[in-house]
Amino acid sequence: MMMPGKYLTFINRFSKTGQTGLIIVGIVFFMAIFAPLISVHSHKLSSGPPLSSPNGEHILGTDELGVDLWAQICFGSRISLVIGMGTALLAGSCGGLIGVLAAYSGGMTDRILMRIIDIITVLPDLPVMIVLAAFFGPGLINIIIVLSLFSWVATARIVRSQVLQLKEQLYIKSAETYGAGTWYLMKRHFLPEIFPLVAVSMIRLTGKAIVAEAGLSFLGLGDPASGSWGLIIHHATSFTGIYYTNFWKWWLIAPWIALTLMVSSLAFISRDFERFADPRMDRRKNRYQKQ
Amino acid sequence: MIFFQGKKSRVIEYLFTIWVIFTLNFFLPRTMPGDPFLFISADEEGEEVAQFSEEQRNYYMAYYGLDRPLYSQYFSYFSDLSKGYLGYSLYYNQPVTIILLHRLPWTLCLVMTAVILSTVIGIVLGGFCAVYADRWEDRLLYFMLIAISEIPAFLVGLVLLFFFAAGMGLFPLSGAMTHFSGYDGFMEKTGDILHHAALPVIALTLTRISGIFLLTRSSIITVLTKTYIKTARAKGISGQRIFIKHIFRNAMLPIVTRVFLSLGSLVGGAILVENVFAYPGLGKLMRDAVMMHDYPLIQGIFLMVTISVLSANFIADLVYKKLDPRISDAAAADGH
Amino acid sequence: MLEIKDLTVTYHTNTSLVCAVNNVSFSVKKGESVGIMGESGCGKTTLAMAVMGLIQDADISGKILFNNDNLLAIPEKKLNQYRWKKIAIVFQNSLEVFNPVLTIGEQIIEPMRTHAALSLKKADIRMRYLLELTGLDPEWANGYPHQMSGGMRQRALIAMAISCDPKFLIIDEPTTSLDPESRDSILRLIKELQKRIGFSLIMISHNLSALREMTSTVMTMCCGQIVEQGITADVMRNPMHCYTRGLIDASPDFFKYKDLWGIRGTIPQNTQSNGCAFYSRCCQAGENCKNQRPILQYVSVERKVACHKGGIETLLEVYGIQKTYLLKDRKIPAVKDVDLNIKSGEIVALIGKSGSGKSSLAHILVNLLSPDKGEIFFMGKKVKGFKVTKKIGGMQIVFQDPFSSTSHRMRVLDVVNEPLDIMKWKTAEERNIKSMAAISMAGLPCSDDFLQRYAHTLSGGQRQRLSMARALVTGPRLLIADEVTSMLDPSSSANLLRELKGLQNIHGFSMLYITHDFHLARKVANRAYVMSEGRIVESGPSFEIFERPVHPVTISLMNSSFSKKEQKKRKKG
Repeated sequence: MMMPGKYLTFINRFSKTGQTGLIIVGIVFFMAIFAPLISVHSHKLSSGPPLSSPNGEHILGTDELGVDLWAQICFGSRISLVIGMGTALLAGSCGGLIGVLAAYSGGMTDRILMRIIDIITVLPDLPVMIVLAAFFGPGLINIIIVLSLFSWVATARIVRSQVLQLKEQLYIKSAETYGAGTWYLMKRHFLPEIFPLVAVSMIRLTGKAIVAEAGLSFLGLGDPASGSWGLIIHHATSFTGIYYTNFWKWWLIAPWIALTLMVSSLAFISRDFERFADPRMDRRKNRYQKQ
Repeated sequence: MIFFQGKKSRVIEYLFTIWVIFTLNFFLPRTMPGDPFLFISADEEGEEVAQFSEEQRNYYMAYYGLDRPLYSQYFSYFSDLSKGYLGYSLYYNQPVTIILLHRLPWTLCLVMTAVILSTVIGIVLGGFCAVYADRWEDRLLYFMLIAISEIPAFLVGLVLLFFFAAGMGLFPLSGAMTHFSGYDGFMEKTGDILHHAALPVIALTLTRISGIFLLTRSSIITVLTKTYIKTARAKGISGQRIFIKHIFRNAMLPIVTRVFLSLGSLVGGAILVENVFAYPGLGKLMRDAVMMHDYPLIQGIFLMVTISVLSANFIADLVYKKLDPRISDAAAADGH
Repeated sequence: MLEIKDLTVTYHTNTSLVCAVNNVSFSVKKGESVGIMGESGCGKTTLAMAVMGLIQDADISGKILFNNDNLLAIPEKKLNQYRWKKIAIVFQNSLEVFNPVLTIGEQIIEPMRTHAALSLKKADIRMRYLLELTGLDPEWANGYPHQMSGGMRQRALIAMAISCDPKFLIIDEPTTSLDPESRDSILRLIKELQKRIGFSLIMISHNLSALREMTSTVMTMCCGQIVEQGITADVMRNPMHCYTRGLIDASPDFFKYKDLWGIRGTIPQNTQSNGCAFYSRCCQAGENCKNQRPILQYVSVERKVACHKGGIETLLEVYGIQKTYLLKDRKIPAVKDVDLNIKSGEIVALIGKSGSGKSSLAHILVNLLSPDKGEIFFMGKKVKGFKVTKKIGGMQIVFQDPFSSTSHRMRVLDVVNEPLDIMKWKTAEERNIKSMAAISMAGLPCSDDFLQRYAHTLSGGQRQRLSMARALVTGPRLLIADEVTSMLDPSSSANLLRELKGLQNIHGFSMLYITHDFHLARKVANRAYVMSEGRIVESGPSFEIFERPVHPVTISLMNSSFSKKEQKKRKKG
């Protein structure tokens, strides 16, 4: 159990942008969890005149079928979070494990894993995702799997190089001379060093996955039943005549802002986390080391 | 790097990766769940529903040769590839290769311009900020670019589209050229093309700049702390020469890698941005092909894009080796 | 040629100001070689950087005059006319000292093209000539820095430095991380080049023997200040600042046999204090040293020292001591005309066979015997009676025989308390505390049980430690240790001696270590006197006396210290 004061000092370590990011992500979580409570209208059924601009009844207006946009944004946040966190957990944990495995076992296993990582790294991810989504069909689980398939390599690469570097550290070697076993080394030395790295890359992956899902949905390749933010944008941009009316001012901008804020917030948080994980990355400190 | 060593082995490595991609491409339609050709589009809009007619179904069965044994399918797949034959698009009623060659220049144009612009601007701004690190100009630029960097290109594209094209009418809404217009001359045509390409290029460039900027900035700041910069200054050679030969030459190394290696994600961005602006490149084609379930076309684009990105990476390797003498020596030392 | 006046370089860090070079003045004449020594972080390299005009992000004040042009007043662009052409530098060798992506040749050519305006072809020819001159294969012109070994890189650095025939060369740590053989050849190379080109030289190093070989005058830097300056050979043989002596003491090049002990303490973080830079680590620091900065001034011919005490103090001066025992009308001369001096913070060994008069001399020093003739001065004042032994911070003696020197009927704590009790120092409570501190300092347990034990229950080693504690409790400036280990077994003796030396290093007292054991003396002494038949027959720093003894007595002492087998080995070796 952490004391509230501890939370406060932890939050204080974040930069201003990082703190803003934390607040925004917190709000999105809140929206996702309490979506049915904070939105009066249905997010699927028509509840008013189509294409009405924001008013007292529909604070963000409605789309072409008269569905409340605020409700859609609230429920859409669930999709973004599920996709983001699902991918991050799956890819982060697999990537971490594979990275440790490659570095620790070395030899042939390492070579084969590295070759696979190399191949996936050079493949351009979005086109391949489109192809996979096209062949395997849309659906949340499919999208998470497809996204994870491409995302684990970055984590694995970082973790592997970190473990390799750690293996060479003299304090690890000296622990070995004291008779430390693999389990002890993992628990005492490797995991504490690796965990922050995996955490940072998981936050990064969350942002990347949300963006990728939005991109696929925007192309019309997402789960058509999901109602994600990307899908709202897709509907809005596919609406004939969107350019010649004022509808985009609420229909398009609401999901756009939601996505942008979410992704930027995650990026700011991960930037701060990176600084915690590796004090050397603090750009202000670096300046002083120069002398 | 680990599997094989030396210059030749790098080539072998790339060939191996290409083979993997070809094979992946071969197996994709064959591992689809259920019967792919009974696929019914789930697009709820109902605009581009593509249900396969009996004729289409028969064509696909024949094209993929699904009635023949796997090895013979695999063999004929490669023999088709070696002839440059990527299949026939039923929707466009044209060989895939021809369609691709027709669309490729547009995408290439967008991507190349965005790469060049973002690299040049990123390096200039990054260099400026590195020299004036921690002044207010630096902090402002740093913050702005970090803020922009995280917004994906297609979202930036959407904003540009709605503000500058739909809202202000400064730029055309879609396409790469004005339809049905007889151009009066080369200049007018070029102008029109540039006019159409401007927003997509800006969208792609804006999102790429910050990466290059941050890297240039940190890279130059790091190089500035190195002893060899002190050596160079002590030698009393001109500041210009120090900057070009000693600072920039070394700071360039990570930038070169980044520029080439980020091509993959840039292509991804381009696919989305093309769809935002209905720009007739490979990205737009890819989406259309997916909507039409035009499998040979999808596969053709996939191959084209992946192979291009791979080639870019290969070039990056070669360039890097030229720029950094330590790399080739390390490889040689490993490979003995 | 180069004259530095009141140079001060101050860096700003986020919290404080760091004064890397503090009010330094010196000059280097044409063709002269000047060495700068000091620990890492003492400001040596900053000084070199300042001369090259390479310091950024720092405040610089003072003057750097090169042929009467003030380099600090010259704008950066014009400074380039001085750099390399007139003043060149050989940076401390590291992989990053060369640009990793340019060939060695390109980097050597670079300054020649700028300063000598040579055509590419001429510059190339000269570059190859320079490589050959510095002992490198000209083929290296096309090599890259990472392909070279450390020694080769050092040569390439030198080749680059002399490419424009500089009038002045600064060399920063030319020998670090080189093996002895390459080290010697690099030093030879620099010497040869200096003869050929005739540049003045500033050599910065913490390798003292390299400085001794290469330079004619030498300066010691401590926390950005110059604390001693003089002719290299003199300074090395007879350092007059405690810091310089500490540096020399810590060099195995000088003391081959002595145990290694560094200067106690570390470089103080706060260099902003107004006092002496060495204050916190000095063995003779006084009150004014804390608050007032000493000025570098002449203390003798060709020697400047920055110390309020005028350099290392002489604690004990002994002139013309004579002592003759009268035994039934027979005169037995024990001590004949002995002169002796002991400086603060040093260990002086007094070596001699039994019966040579060492112990008599020791007893005379503490006034247990009165001399027939001669005078003793302690801290500049003539010694009368027990004046110096009955005070805090005076002179104390530890005797050879631990059993007779402490009363077996007294309890441990009382033994140590005794001198304080006699001096009536403060309260009983405070005496106990001080004694307990001394007891644990001497390596004895401080439990109540032990403190109340009678001295006769202790072993020989423990009793010797007890008498040490008794001597140390008065915080002596000078400790006379008269054969303190001779009655102990080798292990106890080794423990005791090491602890004694450790205490000396921490507390900075001086010690006269009287022994007949040549080997033990070599392990601890900075200086040595050899005594035979009541006379001092030879004296000098231990790196001379133990390696190149001159007097037959010393030679025979040395020879008898080595067993015959060893002597044979030595001859063969």
